[in-house]
Amino acid sequence: MNPFPMLLADLRALRWTAPAIVLLVAIAIASGIAIGAQERALRQGSARAADDFDLIVGAPGSQTQLVMSTVYLQPDALPLLDGRILQALAQDERVAAFAPLGFGDVSRGYPVIGTTAAFAGRWGRIAPSEGRLFAAEGEAVIGADVNYRPGDTIAPSHGTAGSQGRHGEDSEEEHAHRHEGHGYTVVGRLPKLGSPWDRAILVPIESVWEIHGLGNGHASEAATSDAPFWHAGTTRTGTPPETIGRIGPPFDGKRVPGVPAIVIKPKSVAGAYALRAQYRQGGTMAFFPAEVLVSLYGALGDIRSILVVASAANTVLILLSVVLLLIAVNGLRRRRYATLRALGAPRSYVLLVTWLGAALLIATGCILGLGLGLAATHAVSGLVAARTGLALSPSVGIGELSQAAMLCLVGSVLAALPALASYRAPVLSGLRAD
Amino acid sequence: MPSSPLPDGHAATLVLDQLTLDRRDGDGRSFSILAIPALTLEPGTSLGVSGPSGSGKSSLLHLVAGLITPSAGRVSWGDTVVSALAEGERDRWRRRTIGFVFQDFHLVPELDVAANIALPASFSSWRLDAVDRRRALDLAEQMGLADPRRRAAVLSRGEQQRVAIARALFGKPALLLADEPTASLDAARSEAIGALLVEAATRCGASLICASHDAALLARMDRRLDLTPTPAKHAT
Ligand SMILES: Nc1ncnc2c1ncn2[C@@H]1O[C@H](COP(=O)(O)OP(=O)(O)OP(=O)(O)O)[C@@H](O)[C@H]1O
Ligand SMILES: [Mg+2]
Repeated sequence: MNPFPMLLADLRALRWTAPAIVLLVAIAIASGIAIGAQERALRQGSARAADDFDLIVGAPGSQTQLVMSTVYLQPDALPLLDGRILQALAQDERVAAFAPLGFGDVSRGYPVIGTTAAFAGRWGRIAPSEGRLFAAEGEAVIGADVNYRPGDTIAPSHGTAGSQGRHGEDSEEEHAHRHEGHGYTVVGRLPKLGSPWDRAILVPIESVWEIHGLGNGHASEAATSDAPFWHAGTTRTGTPPETIGRIGPPFDGKRVPGVPAIVIKPKSVAGAYALRAQYRQGGTMAFFPAEVLVSLYGALGDIRSILVVASAANTVLILLSVVLLLIAVNGLRRRRYATLRALGAPRSYVLLVTWLGAALLIATGCILGLGLGLAATHAVSGLVAARTGLALSPSVGIGELSQAAMLCLVGSVLAALPALASYRAPVLSGLRAD
Repeated sequence: MPSSPLPDGHAATLVLDQLTLDRRDGDGRSFSILAIPALTLEPGTSLGVSGPSGSGKSSLLHLVAGLITPSAGRVSWGDTVVSALAEGERDRWRRRTIGFVFQDFHLVPELDVAANIALPASFSSWRLDAVDRRRALDLAEQMGLADPRRRAAVLSRGEQQRVAIARALFGKPALLLADEPTASLDAARSEAIGALLVEAATRCGASLICASHDAALLARMDRRLDLTPTPAKHAT
């Protein structure tokens, strides 16, 4: 038995309806797949971005806001922590490393973040892909996607919360708020992290403090204050200047300026919980970013569930209407199939022709939908990456594949309905039909 | 497979015995469409069925082909009681035995001439072998169909009729049933096709039943059956 000549004739008889059915099914499948794959990519990408942020301490406020500002670098005005905490942390047995984070300045739309060289190197996890980490005030190491080059001088501007210029472009707004006479020399570039930090300019926290006239947080302040770092624009890249004061912890000055956030790398899990408990009192808050992400993922998951159910319902409706359409089409083809029977075709032949036809359309739609869904996910991920710097690596997982396979199966079973209707039709009434 | 030597490919005796076909009309009353007390057709004989429109010529051919079952009586072909076969077996018997030329041709418009002619081969075998393909093209040529690649949708009625005849002959049937095979043809073509039908049937030793109004075609047949109703037929 070879149903294909007849099958092709049937598909040809459908003309543009056949590709339309395929496209309809494909779009239905694609939306479901894109939602699933995108949500997972978003979750993985955002979790990866939070990798080096074990414990965050900040002034009391919104944990979510603090995570958004520190991990994802969303500009926001944050209350400050007392700088003395930095001194306490330096003494703390449970702390393996810590780094203050100072936000607020921008250059060409890139946030300028004050921190320690150790955190810029992600506690030793990454090494600069070009040049070196900053080693003195007035030096900067840039994220992978920042369009400065080593050796460039960066003039920071005071960021106005909410109005972050376009990345990589000078703006009027920035120009108006420039910290006159201050500049950083780019001494290195970090490798790609796949997080918004790829678009950040990292400088010593001391420089950020000094630009804002707060001193440098070190005991040696007086000794170095007459060699202001902004003249450091003339220092050579590659040779850390000796003349300029030590940077990084401990911050042992009499008056350590405040910072909006501190990232802590605890020595142990127990230590981490103890630290979190301690800094939850006394005018600070402390939390694991993972906690915030889990609750965010919870919300994200709820949205996803709703969308998935909605798109599944959509898909089933589309499959049903396709099946109804095919039943109607086969009704119009009664005479055609009756003729086959009258010529000696067994019922199973007619069943096969009609079922294969419907199943082929639906299966093609499913496969096309899989591709379309993947393409849509990549497009959305590209948009997300362009907007936030969060690198997403969307992939079609078992979940999406089985979803498509499931719908394909359901479609094929449903496709049997029009086929059975044709199977049962009596031959002669079919021959007399028009 | 149509080209393989058919064990039951040679005509057997067709026997119609006390055959009646009743249908209900709109009011639910039963009326008789066809009543044939007895008819025996020897193998290789041709029968012309005549009668006015609505007299049941097509119905008789459908009964013989096993497309409908009689209300009473039986149709037998050799040892096979066709009217008593189960549907699947009847399909198989029909495929091996019958070549049917429908009154309305019933071609597949999307397929070309050759594919329409060879279509019955796809019911039983996966691939159309070279012999079958050759045969389809030969039949098209015999029927005066110049271009076997033309789609059936664009053919004239006369051309469609010739494709329908070629398709019926494709399986080398033992019993050829033709429902008004010359109705759409011009006089010259009628002559040729009539001769061809009879000749094709004779060549493969097939029995032939033609329902027709065409006196010339009927004249070619060995025997005649007139279904013109007698007043008694409509009693009940
Ligand atoms: N399923 C059915 N129900 C009711 N009446 C039917 C049915 N099938 C056939 N008939 C009737 O039986 C009669 C015979 O029909 P048939 O098609 O056999 O005539 P015919 O001799 O072939 O006519 P024509 O020369 O016009 O082709 C017609 O009156 C038709 O309406
Ligand atoms: Mg008729």
